Amino acid sequence: MEKIKRILIPLLALALSGCLAGCKNTKDTYRTLEEIKKDGTINIGVFSDKNPFGYVDENGNYRGYDVYFAERLAEDLGVKVNYVSTEAANRTEYLQTGKVDVILANFTVTDERKEEVDFALPYMNVALGVVSKNDRIVRCLDELGTDDAVIVISGTTAETYLIKNYPDIPLQKFDSYATAKEAFENGTAVAWANDNTEVIAFAMQNKGYTVGITELGSSDTIAPAVTRGNTTLLEWINKEIKKLGKEQFFHKNYDETLADTYGEEFKETLVVEGGKTD
Amino acid sequence: MDFAYMKLVLPLYEKAAVLTLKTGLEGIVFATLAGLVCAVVLYEKVPVLRQLVMGYIEISRNTPLLVQLFFIYYGLPKAGIVFSAETCGVAGIAFLGGSYMAEAFRSGLENVAAVQRESAYSLGMGRLQTMRYVTGPQAAAASIPAFLANVIFLLKETSVFSAVSLMDLMFTAKDLIGLYYKTTESLFLLVIFYLLILLPVSLIGAAAERRLQYAGSGT
Repeated sequence: MEKIKRILIPLLALALSGCLAGCKNTKDTYRTLEEIKKDGTINIGVFSDKNPFGYVDENGNYRGYDVYFAERLAEDLGVKVNYVSTEAANRTEYLQTGKVDVILANFTVTDERKEEVDFALPYMNVALGVVSKNDRIVRCLDELGTDDAVIVISGTTAETYLIKNYPDIPLQKFDSYATAKEAFENGTAVAWANDNTEVIAFAMQNKGYTVGITELGSSDTIAPAVTRGNTTLLEWINKEIKKLGKEQFFHKNYDETLADTYGEEFKETLVVEGGKTD
Repeated sequence: MDFAYMKLVLPLYEKAAVLTLKTGLEGIVFATLAGLVCAVVLYEKVPVLRQLVMGYIEISRNTPLLVQLFFIYYGLPKAGIVFSAETCGVAGIAFLGGSYMAEAFRSGLENVAAVQRESAYSLGMGRLQTMRYVTGPQAAAASIPAFLANVIFLLKETSVFSAVSLMDLMFTAKDLIGLYYKTTESLFLLVIFYLLILLPVSLIGAAAERRLQYAGSGT
C-alpha cells in the first residue's frame, strides 16, 4: 500500500499541475504593438525548409515569399526581426505560447484555426495539390488503393482534408518539409499531397514528377496570424497590407522570390494584393 | 480539459502505444542479443572481432538515434536498400541499444572476481562451461540494473520516431495538437501513456532485481 501511495501521489500532483497550466488563460502571452516597438525586435515564425516561401539559403539567411513580407513588416514597424523556425504542426502553438508575435509560414486560413488564432488580411491564394511520379500519375484520389500511401506533413490542411474526405487512404506523416521531400524522392509513397503551390514547385524543381491534381478541396487564402486577441498588432498588420497594396508590393515580392520557380504563369492566381480576394 | 476529445482520440493513443511497445521491444530483443555477443567478444578478447565490436560501440554510442534513423531511412535507399519505417525503427533501436547492452553485460562480466574464473578453469571446466555455470549467472545478476535502465532508456528513445514517419506516442500527440489544437489534453494523454508503459517495466525491474540478487556471489 505504502508503495502504491508513493507512486500515486506524484502522479496526481502531476495531473493537477498539468491541468493548472492548461487552464491558464492565453491572454497575457502575447505582446502588444507598443511592447514590440519598445523591445525593438519582432519575433516572426517562418518555415526554414519550404523553398521558395520560407527557407534558409546557403549563407544561412532566411529567404522566400513569406520572409520578404516579414522583412518589410519589421522595416515599417521600425524594429529588427528575429526569425523563429517552425514546423507546420507547431504554428498555432507558437502563437498561443507567445514564442512568436506573428506567424508568416504559409498559414492557410481555416475555420478551425480561426478558433485558435487571429488571421490578418490574406496575401496569397492556395488550394491543395497532389504530385506523383511520372510512371504512375495520380489524377484522382479515388483511384488509390488501401495500400497506396500518400505523404502529408503533420499539421497541414492537406492532412486535415485527407483525414476527413479520404479516411481509407493510408497517410505517411512527416513533421518537416525536408524529410517529406526526401522520403518522397526515395519512393516510399505513391503521391504527396500538400498546398498546390508547394507541389507545383516540387514538380518544377525535380524531374520525373507531375502534379496530377492541381486543385483539390476548396480554394483558400494564406494570411499572417497573431495570437488570439492581439488586436493592436492585428490592426496594424491589416493597415500595412492595405498600404502595401497601393504600391503592388506582393507583385514585386512574387517577382523577387517566386518568379524563378513559377515563372509569370501563376502570378495573378497566387498573389493577393491589398488583402482583396475576388 | 475536454474529456469528449480525449475519449475520441484514445484509440489513436492506444494504437501508438502498441506501435511504441512493439517496435521498442523488438528493437530491445535484438539489442540484447547483439549486446550479449559483443560483451562476450570483448570479455574473451577475441582477436579482430574485438576491434570491430569496439568500433561499433563507439559509433553507436556517440551518435544520436535521430541521426542513425536518418541514415537508415533516408540514406540507405540511395544505395538501393529500402526498409519500411517500422523496420527502420526496430533497426535503429537495435543499433543504438546494442552498444549500451554490450557495456552493461561487459561490466557485469568484469564484476565477477577473477578468482571465480580461475577456480573454474582449475577444476577442469572449459571456457563455455565456465561462462554457462560460473561467470554467466553472476554477471547476469550484476548486469540487471544496467540492463533495465537501458530498456527504459530505449523505450523512451522511440520518441524520435516521428523523423521516419512512425506514428509513435510522441508523434501522435504532436500530430493531434496540429490537427485539433487541444494541447493540454494531448500532452496529458501522452504523459499518461508513457507512464502506463514505463511504470510496469520499472516495477518488474525492481522485482526481478530482488529475485536475482541471490545469484550474486556470497550474499
